[in-house]
Amino acid sequence: MTVELLIEKLKPENEKRVEPASQGEPMGPFKIRAEKLNAWFGQNHVLKDISIGFRENEVTAIIGPSGCGKSTLIRCLNRMHELVPGARTSGSVFLDGAEIYSKHVDAVQVRRTVGMVFQKPNPFPTMSVYDNVAAGLKLNGMRNQRKLDEAVLNSLKKAALWDEVKDDLDKSGVSLSGGQQQRLCIARALAVEPKVILMDEPCSALDPIATAKIEELIASLKEQYTVVIVTHNMQQAARVSDRTAFLYLGQVIEYGETTHLFENPAQELTERYVTGKFG
Amino acid sequence: MPRLMDMGLDRLRGMILDMAQLSNSTVTTAIDAYEQGKDVRAKIFDWSEELRILQDEVSELAVELIARYQPVATDLRFIKSCMEVAYGFSRFGRYAHDIADVLGMFGDISGCDKSPIHKAGDQAKSMISLSIKAFTERSVELASKLNDMDDIVDNIYTDFVKKSAQNPGGDLKCTVSATLILRYLERIADHATYVGDSVLYIVTGERAARK
Repeated sequence: MTVELLIEKLKPENEKRVEPASQGEPMGPFKIRAEKLNAWFGQNHVLKDISIGFRENEVTAIIGPSGCGKSTLIRCLNRMHELVPGARTSGSVFLDGAEIYSKHVDAVQVRRTVGMVFQKPNPFPTMSVYDNVAAGLKLNGMRNQRKLDEAVLNSLKKAALWDEVKDDLDKSGVSLSGGQQQRLCIARALAVEPKVILMDEPCSALDPIATAKIEELIASLKEQYTVVIVTHNMQQAARVSDRTAFLYLGQVIEYGETTHLFENPAQELTERYVTGKFG
Repeated sequence: MPRLMDMGLDRLRGMILDMAQLSNSTVTTAIDAYEQGKDVRAKIFDWSEELRILQDEVSELAVELIARYQPVATDLRFIKSCMEVAYGFSRFGRYAHDIADVLGMFGDISGCDKSPIHKAGDQAKSMISLSIKAFTERSVELASKLNDMDDIVDNIYTDFVKKSAQNPGGDLKCTVSATLILRYLERIADHATYVGDSVLYIVTGERAARK
């Protein structure tokens, strides 16, 4: 069963608009949403009853000091958190209204539908540029060479990398520059046709030029996907996102339109964090 | 530990307070000189030029702080407001200069009734002082009083214009000179109100509705 069918099957009939918990918070319906989500690493309670929704065709930035649970939150959105020994979750995450933690749902399928781009570019070191992008498709059983070629081309184009690598598809993925490697990883995530793209500090290892390219790419990706980006760089959050959530000690302190959150935050804690008075 | 940006913000605050004092003196001197029939054009021109130069310096520092530190929240609102307030103070200087120019334009106007100008002038001076105090103390309460005070100046101006239109037989030199000065005072009062609006914006993030 495809994940789309599963989602359709598991979708509650009465999935309704979710009203915002506070002023400025987006209104549903959401593409992906966590409800009363808790996460632990062993005894360490990292996320505390988080309810937060992310809208389609928007970029949402998650900001907060180190250790506040930003990365853990997005890793719960595609069930990567459970891969860590001793880690566990409670609560729910709904993708298109269907609970991804349901026992009927295959976690691997979820991770394809909700793709992740990491802090450090991590192309498969032994594979060519082409194979890096095609790897997920081949794993899914795609063997038709014409279709593979088409998917690789489209993914590299969407990741704004095609023009730079079209003559070097056979070269090793790790021979590319850091910024190109990161866009290769984005192309790899796009190849398996995800619905949501999670990015965990995708530019922290890149120079300003490569960062600008990734930021431009993020802006274009939102036309087709739901994008959630974790960043320590508040200026980056302000540049690329439509909405921003501020996390502190495992809780959402404030969530709203990016412009509003950075110009006139409603919470004193947010004000202190974004102005650099703590953290 | 103070942030690097705090030094720049303190400097900006200091420049604004310097402008506040100078613009207050400029307007007060111009109004008092008119009432006393003294020619202070040269002095007022120098001060208004100084205010204009200070406004440029405030803008330059504000842009530098934005470029260097990418301020957000209260910091951003404060810097943006300083640019607006500095513009307001430089306009005070310009209108004071216009007031001082009236004497030069019309010569001896000692025989004219100066009571409407005296009333509006006192109100405008109070508004400038209050707007500066509200800005210095970041007091929304003080700032909120400026709107009502502005209405008083507006009313003096419009009443005078209406009365002059209804009684066209008066001394033309007195009528025109008083109309001009009342108009400048009315604009000064508007800018003092805008300074109050900036205080509201810095403190609450809300934008006051412009009349």
